[in-house]
Amino acid sequence: MAKIRGCDWGKRCWACCFVILLLFSLSVCSKKEAGGDQIAIGVVLPISGREAKPGQYQREGIELAIHQINQAGGIFVKDKGKKMWVKEVFYDDGSDQAKSAGLVERAMTSDNVVAVLGGYSTALGEAESVMPDRYHTPWITTGAAASTIFGRGYQYIFGTLSPTDVLGFTTAEFLGSLVDHGKLKKGLKIALALENTDHGVDYGKGIDKWIQAHSGYFQVVFSEKFDLGSADFSGLLQKVKSVRADIFLADAHLQDYITMQRQYIQSGMSHQMLSYGARGPEADARKALGDATNYIFAGIWWSSKLPYAQVKQFSSDYQAFTGHAPDSWYPATAYDGMRALAAAIEHAGTLNKTAVRDQLRTVELKDSLLPGQVLRFGTNGQVGTPFVVVQNKPDAKVDIVYPSDAATGEAIAPKPH
Amino acid sequence: MNAADLMNLVISAFLLAGVYAAMSVGMTIIYGVMKIVNLAHAGFLMLGAYFVYELYERFGIDPLLGVVLAFPTFFLLGMTVHWLLVRRIPTSDQPTLPSLLLLFGLWLILQNLAYLIWGNSDRSILTPRTLSVFHLGRITFPMVQLVVFGAAVASLTGLEFVLHKTWFGKAVRALMQNSEAGKIVGVKVERTARVSFGVGIAFAGAAGGLLAMMYSFSPDFGGLFLLRAFVIIVLGGLESFTGIAIGALILALVETFSILILPANYQPAIAFSLLVVALVVLPQGVAGLWSRRRRLA
Repeated sequence: MAKIRGCDWGKRCWACCFVILLLFSLSVCSKKEAGGDQIAIGVVLPISGREAKPGQYQREGIELAIHQINQAGGIFVKDKGKKMWVKEVFYDDGSDQAKSAGLVERAMTSDNVVAVLGGYSTALGEAESVMPDRYHTPWITTGAAASTIFGRGYQYIFGTLSPTDVLGFTTAEFLGSLVDHGKLKKGLKIALALENTDHGVDYGKGIDKWIQAHSGYFQVVFSEKFDLGSADFSGLLQKVKSVRADIFLADAHLQDYITMQRQYIQSGMSHQMLSYGARGPEADARKALGDATNYIFAGIWWSSKLPYAQVKQFSSDYQAFTGHAPDSWYPATAYDGMRALAAAIEHAGTLNKTAVRDQLRTVELKDSLLPGQVLRFGTNGQVGTPFVVVQNKPDAKVDIVYPSDAATGEAIAPKPH
Repeated sequence: MNAADLMNLVISAFLLAGVYAAMSVGMTIIYGVMKIVNLAHAGFLMLGAYFVYELYERFGIDPLLGVVLAFPTFFLLGMTVHWLLVRRIPTSDQPTLPSLLLLFGLWLILQNLAYLIWGNSDRSILTPRTLSVFHLGRITFPMVQLVVFGAAVASLTGLEFVLHKTWFGKAVRALMQNSEAGKIVGVKVERTARVSFGVGIAFAGAAGGLLAMMYSFSPDFGGLFLLRAFVIIVLGGLESFTGIAIGALILALVETFSILILPANYQPAIAFSLLVVALVVLPQGVAGLWSRRRRLA
């Protein structure tokens, strides 16, 4: 009996060894394939959890760029002497910070990718941003813009979103232009509700900066932070209501924007102007709130209304690729992020990560979708493209209302009750 | 802040308390009878929201009627879950690790099933009621919250009636007070537990439907409310329905009014500080305080 058992164990040991060897050889083959015939690019985005929707749109933007690059034969890598296809190594971080950082680490080590794209939202981007320098692998965030990410002197990080303080500054500048045009009066009171993240802090700083440089235009009478993902904002809104401000500016994520605006209307509140930062024209918000989103304005990094030929082409390609039109700015910054990376790899002529990083520092996309049409990364790794301000109008219409040279419609101010 | 603003806050807190009570009662029934902490409660809240949403989107059924329909549907679902899974857990007078793990696992399964079926988009129910408000002088009543509050109060009143006037209700109360004595007087524990689990899930599903009328939701919906339900049932005394109502009111009042003196981002900390205080100072909850007074009297 003991002998039979011993025999069984022996067979089991051999079987285990065989399976381990098989798995090892498969993993070696797959790594060889990634390094040999294809360029592996890591993509870490939230497609589940509270940031799922924007994460999904960003993924679609990246995949469209990869699809087009591969359709054109791939990226020419000089030291390989051939064009190579791009292979996406995708991970869903579930909108979880710890998971997000872990997956970037996994992509950079186990999957040995040339670069990683991703990091939607400040919180997830901040968590991921510590990995690139540790593993000397370029990382391009297509959805995070807080100064804390780009202010730490990291050498391998890049971002396709302009800084959030510029968003706040542009928002105040737009309101100032309405005063200059006589649509709003001087000296109006502003109430601020900011998300409790570095994004919120930067947004508030941008507004303060403009107001301090232009005295007499506006006065901030209320400023408070709130936690993202709250189920109830009625207490905060009641405080906002009690300060009797003329303008209400919140900096919120999509889910919070929908919840807060719903409770804003339910509380019977109304202001001359209303904004939720970079959120406003999203289709989900329109669906959830209908006409209650009319006249909300938003400062965004990109709009499908921009009057550039490449924007029109992108919108139609995106529609054909995904079956739906681009929703707000999300897919465009991701699409350009992937294209900038492809250009950097081609210029580097090698898959060496440091060489690709060096090229990212100098790369210029002259047919960029972003406002200004040129994408180049600044010394801290972040782009500096201007924002456009859009305003929701009745019948699901969205117009660019600022700056005037890109405007597709006139700003409606003060907004009707 | 003037008197009208304060009054608005009081009303807001009372309306919120109604919703909180409705979403917590299902957990209390299940805990009271079976001593199981139903971690899958959040999953059933989420399913309830999607149930009412689908009825509204596909068949144009008013969300309020959807909530009524959620009761029998989720009651049957709860009975099925009990028959398939919960009855296999060893019974105990205290919550056990297998029950916590099983129901936590069930929550994850429900969440992932919802991702498969509905994807990751936020959904919401938009009816003419959703954004309409009713003014009484300078005091504002959000119509949807009034409706949700009314529905919550009606369902809780119905439950009180069932618990006090029917054989099943008496059996439930007997098992909640003393399960051994309940068995001696002829209460069929297995059947009562199955029906109680069904009722608990029915309340979770209906509460999910009510919450869907007020908030947008996704497969992750429910987690935040589950944490609040814990606070409420600990405050209320784990096994008391009147305690639940008072616990819900305390939480809603504290959350709403504390914001006046503290920044809004401290709101989640307020709820959990309350939980810690309740566990340390009032481990039996508000209901325990009453019964102690009654004993002393």
